[in-house]
Amino acid sequence: MLRDYLPVVLLAALAVAFAVASMTASRLLGPNRPDPVKLSAYECGNEPIRLPKGEKFGVKFYVVAMLFIIFDIETIFLFPWAVTFRTLGLFGLVEMAIFIGLVFVAYVYVWKKGGLDWAEGQGPASVREARAAAEADLGEAARAR
Amino acid sequence: MPLDNVVFWVFAPIAVASAIAMLVQRNAVHAALLLIVNFFCIAVFYLLLGAPFLFAVQVIVYAGAIMVLFLFVIMLLGVDRGDTLRERLVGQRPAAIGLGLALALEVFFAVRAGVGFAAKAPVGFEKVNAGGNAQALARVLFRDYFFPFEATSVLLIVAAIAAMVLAQRKARAITQAGAEAAGRGEVA
Amino acid sequence: MLPTPKLDFLPVLPELILAGAGIVTLLYEALAPRASRATHLGLSLVGLAAAAGASIALWDRTGDPTVLAGAIQADRLAVVARVIIISVAAVGLLLGTHYYDRSGDERRGEFYPLVLFATTGMTLIVAAADLIVVFLALEILSLSLYVLTGMSRRGQATEASMKYFLLGAFASAFFLYGVAMAYGATGTTKIAGIAHALAGQTGGQALALVALGFLAIGFGFKVSAVPFHMWTPDVYQGAPTPVTAFMAAATKVAAFGALIRVLDVSFQPLAWDWMPVIWALAAASVVVGSVLAIAQSDVKRMLAYSSIAHAGFVLTGLTAANQDGIRAALFYLIAYAMMTLGSFGVVMLVSVRGEERTSLASYSGLGRRQPLLAGLMALFMLSLAGIPPTAGFIAKVGVFGAAIRAGHWQLALVGVVSSVAAAFFYLRVVVLMYMQEPQGEEQEEDRSPLPRLALAVPAILTLVLGVFPQMLLGVLDKASVLRW
Repeated sequence: MLRDYLPVVLLAALAVAFAVASMTASRLLGPNRPDPVKLSAYECGNEPIRLPKGEKFGVKFYVVAMLFIIFDIETIFLFPWAVTFRTLGLFGLVEMAIFIGLVFVAYVYVWKKGGLDWAEGQGPASVREARAAAEADLGEAARAR
Repeated sequence: MPLDNVVFWVFAPIAVASAIAMLVQRNAVHAALLLIVNFFCIAVFYLLLGAPFLFAVQVIVYAGAIMVLFLFVIMLLGVDRGDTLRERLVGQRPAAIGLGLALALEVFFAVRAGVGFAAKAPVGFEKVNAGGNAQALARVLFRDYFFPFEATSVLLIVAAIAAMVLAQRKARAITQAGAEAAGRGEVA
Repeated sequence: MLPTPKLDFLPVLPELILAGAGIVTLLYEALAPRASRATHLGLSLVGLAAAAGASIALWDRTGDPTVLAGAIQADRLAVVARVIIISVAAVGLLLGTHYYDRSGDERRGEFYPLVLFATTGMTLIVAAADLIVVFLALEILSLSLYVLTGMSRRGQATEASMKYFLLGAFASAFFLYGVAMAYGATGTTKIAGIAHALAGQTGGQALALVALGFLAIGFGFKVSAVPFHMWTPDVYQGAPTPVTAFMAAATKVAAFGALIRVLDVSFQPLAWDWMPVIWALAAASVVVGSVLAIAQSDVKRMLAYSSIAHAGFVLTGLTAANQDGIRAALFYLIAYAMMTLGSFGVVMLVSVRGEERTSLASYSGLGRRQPLLAGLMALFMLSLAGIPPTAGFIAKVGVFGAAIRAGHWQLALVGVVSSVAAAFFYLRVVVLMYMQEPQGEEQEEDRSPLPRLALAVPAILTLVLGVFPQMLLGVLDKASVLRW
């Protein structure tokens, strides 16, 4: 039975081998003449001034990760349901509808309580206002033209 | 030696070693990474036991989502907080190690006496799993265990409330503290 | 197409109503622009009343003992336990509403859905016929309680919540391991199925015994029996007082309800093996709880240690391993729930705004300052001490009698001696209230009528059950017959 996974293992081994081989090849074959300008971050990053000591993540990351797990578990339940849903019939459909409905309640709660707002004043309400303002601007621009 | 045994004997030492290394590791991020290794080894064991669905769940939920959560918490608390692992009770550590070993031995002998360490799958296992492991699981989960399944959704709702109530309050407290600090700075 | 399981939702209607009420209050909190506490309270109380009605309607139910593919037990034990838990929740909600009203704390609308979900978990655990459902219910109630414990601005509450969560998660892991072991030993997680499998087995049952040990650890933590009690004083002290009242009273009923099923149904064939374990837990809890309570100077901590001792008294009844013991334990649980709920309610009213004035010293002269509160407190203290004519006395006589009839007179002796020692710290509160002068200058007092009205429920029951215990004993005679 485990032999069924041989292709997966082979693919994984191939992927690792390719990554290692190309890194090694570029290290061995490529010319290596570093200077401070080449080593500096160029256009796509800032020069690190110091190590991020004592710097802390916002608690918001944690809330998002926690919510992700909740809906992740929902997905885990959905998968076996989806592969058997023909045999489960109407009972299975109703059952899953109730489950999703209940988890949806949690979603509504989190959304309305601002758990999905990334920063102050970016909630659904403020987005609507911003959009209204933008549309008004566009309208004015069109009229002006 | 059959392939199953080879795979087991490759991954079992890695699992045990990574678990022990995680415990003695002082750096929280390194401990979390070792935990991922351990989770992957356990996932492989599920595969060996003929439970590919659990294998996938283990990788997706534990090695994926839960680990991200761990790392966020570590970052939240700051990576290099001086560890306050000073022992308050004298002899607590040896006592814990001794009792833990005793418990492990007890479980070991109880399992050997109860179900034995048979190398074969239980009778009828192949038949149950015929047509796919996920399908077999679904037939049990969504029919015999449909009520516990629905009850899980209530648990998920409570978990969502918990995340919101506890974390949001903390966020507010941090913002408040920051504002207060800024206020003091202005006065000074 | 697979056949669908037989759907008989009536025996689980109380839980469905409670969960529904929780969802309604949660949505109200989320969607109403300015959710008011009064509406929350009204919705919750309607839900609790409906759930209580649905439970009582199940009293005369005949039919399959288990429904919903063997997930739910429909017997009278579940009915009685549900009604107690729901009553405690109702009083707890009234107290909590007053607590958050007067403290001027933030809105805390989540208090209501969380209490309702916790109640759902508690009633589900006493009606569970499958260890998997027991575990799920345990998690629902525990998770709600962890959050409720931390729902306060004080750092102490956060610390209590953290301690409760870490130790609770550890205990849940033991419980789950026990379920796995039970499955390994018997091939099923159904409470009745385990009993059938164990009764048919011969020879060594090492795996089943290890399973029982792990399950006992999980339950021991939830009922706070020694040596799994370490969290209790810190959590009871740190949590907001109405939450403490709710959790101290209702969690014990819920956990003991499930423990009774696990011991007296699943592991009945191994009764001679678990009896000494429960015996030891009971003796240790009674002694340690009573002795440590004497040394406390904070009322909430004192009541926490007292609750540990009371867990020991309930376990004393369970060592009988028969219907007699179950009936005594049930009576004790009802009496305990009422007097603990009542005394924490008084503690809440004595501290004026949040959590101040919980030291014993602040009770001196209470008899003069607040005669009604002092009277209530005296009643609950006398009942906790087990002095007639209160429910506590009848309850103690019941559990000691059951233990003695089953041949555990040594345990009953330990219990009686500890009760005498414990009477010291209960009566100390009474002496302080009536025979000491009030300390300090006149202070602000909480004189609101609504929470006092709520406390009438436990007060009346404590007294009535002490004077006319027959009323309840007749009901419990029928409730202590386990159908499976």
